[in-house]
Amino acid sequence: MSSPLEALPSELVTADLVSGAVHLRVDLTLYPLSAVYASAYVFLDRCFVLLDKPDAHTVRVTLAPRKAGADEAVLRAFVGEFSNELLSAAWRQQIAQDNRAVIEMVTSQAISAAMGAPSLDDLAGFDFGDESFEDPLGIAMSWEEKYKKKVAPAEGAAAPSGDEPGGEP
Amino acid sequence: MTELRLHRELYAGTAVDAAVKTYARFAEFELREEPTHWVVRVTAKSEARATQIARELANYALGTTIRERGGRS
Repeated sequence: MSSPLEALPSELVTADLVSGAVHLRVDLTLYPLSAVYASAYVFLDRCFVLLDKPDAHTVRVTLAPRKAGADEAVLRAFVGEFSNELLSAAWRQQIAQDNRAVIEMVTSQAISAAMGAPSLDDLAGFDFGDESFEDPLGIAMSWEEKYKKKVAPAEGAAAPSGDEPGGEP
Repeated sequence: MTELRLHRELYAGTAVDAAVKTYARFAEFELREEPTHWVVRVTAKSEARATQIARELANYALGTTIRERGGRS
């Protein structure tokens, strides 16, 4: 028979003192499933862990300590430890997700640095062509090319003044 | 006889199969698929032994699932 544990919310945690097991309801909108998995894995050596999914957003975790005769204090300790582990796992996952771009950049830099300088063969095979080079701001253009004298569009148009860039002094 | 119900979204079928193979020499198992659960019936010499083996099997299946899915961080 399930009964609430003192000082723990009864809608989230119930205990079965006869069978020595405790049940927790984990909201998947707060804790990702991978965090539930990570926390459950930590307890496999000390508890029998059973997961169930009563609805789409809830995982029901049952912890039954391997040592027989678990009383209310032992079950409460397991609930607290599991909850802490769950929060820790969720937070670690959030940090990893936030820093994924930085981690990938540092890793790729480390790998490319470990590969060393390119050899002459690598350079010989490198494509220095202009085909795929994009320069929307015109940074790679020469000064002459960028500011070359424009052809007059039609007769009677005003000639460019000498102080314009690209104009004759 | 003890019946174990493992949710199909939480336990990999391959992990349940592997767990059953591992504990096959300790009890008799009967597997059934339901739309939402893998159902394993465990029959052993005594009810207490069947319960114990079912719990161990569930742990094994969960551990294997987590390792397969990379959930251990």
